[in-house]
Amino acid sequence: MSEQLLAVERLSVGYGKKTVVHEVDLGLAEREILIVLGHNGAGKTTLMQAIFGLIRTQSGRVLYRGEPITGRKPADNVLGGIAYVPQGHGIFRSLTVRANLELGAFVVRDRSRLEEDMETVFEMFPILRERATQIGGTLSGGQQQMLAIGMALMHKPSVMILDEPSIGLAPNLVERVMRSIQTINREFGTAILMVEQNVRYGLPIAQRAAVLKTGRKVYDGPPEPLEDRVELMKLF
Amino acid sequence: MDLFLQLLLNGFVNGSHYALLGVGFGLIFGTTNIVHFAYGPVYAAGAYSAWTAAALLGFPLFLAGLTGVAAATVLGVASYLLLYRPFVRRDAPTFVVLIASLGLFILLENLIAILFGTDKKVVDGYSAGIHFIGPTFYTDIHIYQIASLMILGLALAAFLRLTNYGKAIQAMTDNADMARVIGIDTNKVSILVFAIGSAISAVPAVLILLRDGALPNMGFIAVFVAFLAVVVGGVGSILGAVLGGFLLGMVENVGMWQIPTEWQSTIAFIVLFFVLLVRPQGLFKGT
Ligand SMILES: Nc1ncnc2c1ncn2[C@@H]1O[C@H](COP(=O)(O)OP(=O)(O)OP(=O)(O)O)[C@@H](O)[C@H]1O
Ligand SMILES: [Mg+2]
Repeated sequence: MSEQLLAVERLSVGYGKKTVVHEVDLGLAEREILIVLGHNGAGKTTLMQAIFGLIRTQSGRVLYRGEPITGRKPADNVLGGIAYVPQGHGIFRSLTVRANLELGAFVVRDRSRLEEDMETVFEMFPILRERATQIGGTLSGGQQQMLAIGMALMHKPSVMILDEPSIGLAPNLVERVMRSIQTINREFGTAILMVEQNVRYGLPIAQRAAVLKTGRKVYDGPPEPLEDRVELMKLF
Repeated sequence: MDLFLQLLLNGFVNGSHYALLGVGFGLIFGTTNIVHFAYGPVYAAGAYSAWTAAALLGFPLFLAGLTGVAAATVLGVASYLLLYRPFVRRDAPTFVVLIASLGLFILLENLIAILFGTDKKVVDGYSAGIHFIGPTFYTDIHIYQIASLMILGLALAAFLRLTNYGKAIQAMTDNADMARVIGIDTNKVSILVFAIGSAISAVPAVLILLRDGALPNMGFIAVFVAFLAVVVGGVGSILGAVLGGFLLGMVENVGMWQIPTEWQSTIAFIVLFFVLLVRPQGLFKGT
């Protein structure tokens, strides 16, 4: 397991006394795209939040580059190179697109790179350049999702955790967002840990897939078998 | 007509006072979502500390004022760290934190009354200069009340816009969860806004001490108008708190032209009622 960039070992997470994620093991290699599937309420968001340090774990460990980071503050995880794109447009709704992107680079001490990094985001999502001075909350759903991903890119992460980036988007936009995630992975070598319900567009870009069912991992392996609906249904 | 001009001037002066109270309270409320009712007694503690420094320890006035600011800052940060933070960390519902805040309000107010007695404390030997423009008059304190709002308001606006911590405060005001996601330490930011907000509150407190004297229950009306100013102006907007404060001060004083004085705080409530009826998000939110 030591060659894993991010590893989760027998992690249990819950709310109060209730446990919703049960002893899950998960590994993410450098430059890998891992997709996590599961029914509504399976515990996908809970698992991602616990990995990133947004909520407390009950037992088990999270390792990053071989070091335990269980329960570490999100601020330290961001500094360490982990980015998180939350479920449902994670942006600052009252601030402009530009201000949002600048905040994405909040932990970056070297401010001289800011313009350059923003340029990289604008090249990936040209619509954000056009809308640079627009207030975030007035963007369309798809634009907000691109902005959320753009913000995560601003701190040049080694790992990007995305929670259902396609939620609420029209099919052509889902494809567009998936393609940009793939581009981020290829161009910057960013490893991707992505929760995604949209099997049709999500699976093809993944190198590996895991399935959660009522908080337990019931599948971990190549994505191809899951493209078969019958096979997938058995796991849900 | 002379009375009207005088009331207009008083409204502007009191408006400045309310506005500054609103700015401090609104900074804390908007950023942390904590309805910090104990802001009132923290403000009172600022006045009493300044009085202690000036009257008992013989500090020069300016130094006594700084003592008040320091005391309020320490007390404000302590109330966050010792009382609110444990609740915030457990994700306690807003109303639980509200009750805790009311408890702290009562505790601090009683402590002040026990320590200092319930008689009015004034700084002997200070008398403010009085000036006239035609038939209307104003005092040095009135000028300080207006000037302190302008200086502290502009300084805070610059801080929010230009510094990293200021941007962190803006981010947390917009969306605290997202602020954590992009790597902002929301605990540190909370400590910071409690420090700044409490420090700001001590300035009007010291000026009221010099103008009217200090009483243990002086914090109630302070947090009351601060809260109204913020809600009227729009939570999360500093400019909104300022304008909300001015609106309250003006309506209250100009209202006295025709309406008896006892109705002063009722008028404030009526303003709140109508503003919220028309604009539930506050007058200046989202501008
Ligand atoms: N803050 C919370 N307090 C208590 N229970 C919660 C909380 N958040 C989620 N849960 C519960 O935990 C379980 C897992 O929720 P979670 O959001 O992790 O599921 P999910 O797999 O992300 O679902 P979805 O696909 O709908 O986003 C659910 O039963 C949910 O009701
Ligand atoms: Mg979810």
